[in-house]
Amino acid sequence: MPSIDLTTILTLLTVGFLWIGAVAVLWAGDGRRQMQNLLAAGFAVAAGLAALGLLPLATGQAVVRIAMGSFFGDFTFVPDGLGVFLAAVATVVGSLAVIFSIDYMHEEAQLGRYYALVLFFIGAMAGLVLAGNLLLLFLFWEMVAFCSYALISFHNDDPKAVAGGIKALVITQLGGLGLLAGVLTAYATLGNYQVEYFLANAHTVPPAALAVIAFGFLIAAAAKSAQVPFHTWLPDAMEAPTPVSALIHAATMVNAGVYLLARFYPAFADVPGWRTAVMTVGVLSALLAAGLALMATDLKRVLAYSTISQLGYMVYAVGVGAIFASQFHLLSHAVFKALLFLGAGAVIHLVGTRDMQQMGGLGRQMPFVRNVFVIGALALAGIPILNGFWSKELILEAGFAGGPFAAYVIMLAVAGLTALYTFRTVWLVFFGPPGADSPSRERNPAAGDAPPAMRVALGTLVLGTFVTWLLAGPFGNLLEIGIKGPAFGHVSSTLRVVEEVLAAPTTLIALIVVSLGLAVWYWRAKLPANATASGAAGFRAWFARDGGFEGLNHAIAGLIQGSSEALRTTQTGQLNWNIVGIAGGLAIVLAILALGA
Amino acid sequence: MNLAPLNVALVGVLGLLGIGMYGLLMTRNLIKTVIVLQILVKAAVLALVMAGSAAGQIHLGQSLALTVIVADTIVAVVGLALAIQVRRRCGTLDVQALATLRR
Repeated sequence: MPSIDLTTILTLLTVGFLWIGAVAVLWAGDGRRQMQNLLAAGFAVAAGLAALGLLPLATGQAVVRIAMGSFFGDFTFVPDGLGVFLAAVATVVGSLAVIFSIDYMHEEAQLGRYYALVLFFIGAMAGLVLAGNLLLLFLFWEMVAFCSYALISFHNDDPKAVAGGIKALVITQLGGLGLLAGVLTAYATLGNYQVEYFLANAHTVPPAALAVIAFGFLIAAAAKSAQVPFHTWLPDAMEAPTPVSALIHAATMVNAGVYLLARFYPAFADVPGWRTAVMTVGVLSALLAAGLALMATDLKRVLAYSTISQLGYMVYAVGVGAIFASQFHLLSHAVFKALLFLGAGAVIHLVGTRDMQQMGGLGRQMPFVRNVFVIGALALAGIPILNGFWSKELILEAGFAGGPFAAYVIMLAVAGLTALYTFRTVWLVFFGPPGADSPSRERNPAAGDAPPAMRVALGTLVLGTFVTWLLAGPFGNLLEIGIKGPAFGHVSSTLRVVEEVLAAPTTLIALIVVSLGLAVWYWRAKLPANATASGAAGFRAWFARDGGFEGLNHAIAGLIQGSSEALRTTQTGQLNWNIVGIAGGLAIVLAILALGA
Repeated sequence: MNLAPLNVALVGVLGLLGIGMYGLLMTRNLIKTVIVLQILVKAAVLALVMAGSAAGQIHLGQSLALTVIVADTIVAVVGLALAIQVRRRCGTLDVQALATLRR
């Protein structure tokens, strides 16, 4: 290990605080709830501060090096710009989610298990983005997958929650296999697990092997970031407690896929077809999920679909080659989507249902939540001057300049759709007439505004929604630390980004499309009734089947089940037949060895 | 090196292996299954001693053989104990009859 300096200490603490916190919460025991709240929030905030402290210290050098023997290589942590940035996002938004949980989870049992998993989860995510060894990265990748499974199924007496967790686990594991195949192929060709070494020597890898690695990583990223065709797990993951949704779906896990693509973009950009594939995945996800969000009636599912859609934007940006725009949107999205999820959590917590049709008119009951939710929604819709506007414009601009025109047009249309479904959601929840049976008031007549700990978390995120775009300049400089490449662009100052966005004609077009989306919602009653009805019916029928992807899942599951049933007949339970099988297998292996040698 | 004893031992190994395999495939009695497993392991022990002698590392072969004998005794004890329990609970030692019990 190199000499212990501040960077090393902070890198270790970013992960360490969270994991120590996880153990500490379990040690405190479920009998001492106040203690658990305090420990969880304390350690989460400490880790967030450590990650923030790491920001100015970013370096391309490995600061922690743990020798793992000749096969695994050294397990290193490299706090370079990209890694430090994502670690900061994960830990800061994560700590806000933990603070929010103090109020949200105050009636839940098994608080220890909840906090321990959440802290372990954030720690694993921080480790994932700071890891400098491909195998270590894979290990953290799987830890994150496990924690998300356990947290989605947190209410393990609810069959829907358990099913959602298992679905998420199966699909992300499938992606994990792609990552593992890629990592092992990289090791087989280069004989080294270091990310740095791989990026520097990717051009020496034979093209076929590099293609395996590139597409393996793409599958992993698509599964983790809930992109088409692996997106179906994310809406079902909404059974999790809402702070967990905010964590998994805004700040941490889903960003891992985009991180993976951005990190390895310099190595894969020249693989034939890879960038097209990335762009296609992004565009399809953005479009499909925006349509689904328009149809959904469950508040959290709307947010889940919009997450898929926004991640589609980031993936598309990576495909176009605009890594900076993609990561900048990731930052904006992490902040405003966490805000939306936590705001939705406050609503659900107070009303007791997730069905938007039963809400409506909640604005007067909870003005604080209404205000913060609307701010988050405006950022999501891309209204200036909120952070979502700047980052989305950057992506569209890059897409216009560097990508196929058709893809740009679709993404532009999705921006309009985004505005449409966002305003539909806000209207249904806060402003529209109360639902038919309107249980909200009766069920919870005392429902007031958000309690204090929720306000702390929400207020911080609102602040972030207003100011994170001002960090564009420093952020551009930060990303260039460690990994050099033209892909990251040379964004040196916020002012230049602002000028660029304002000067580009695409901004105006995008704003027009966004206001068009708004207008469609505002004047929806005045549209020709027939046109909307017939259009919506066809639309609805297609989206109700989730574009057919849910059917695909069922078909695959059915196939596996059917073949297992068919293979069952070979399991006779007869000892003598088993011996025949063993002896036969041995004979085949010996024959292969004899012939091969 | 005199090859004659080695060849004799090889024939012994193959013979024991054959008897064990045949028994394993044909027997339906659990106690007999344990016995034929013992025969199979004896083939392995003999092979170890033989291989040690052939490679000039007789001590290594002998110590490995001893280890196998110890481990194998435990297998036999546990196997026989299981057989007794099966006989007591299910009333039969016939493996085919036992296989149909699951339905």
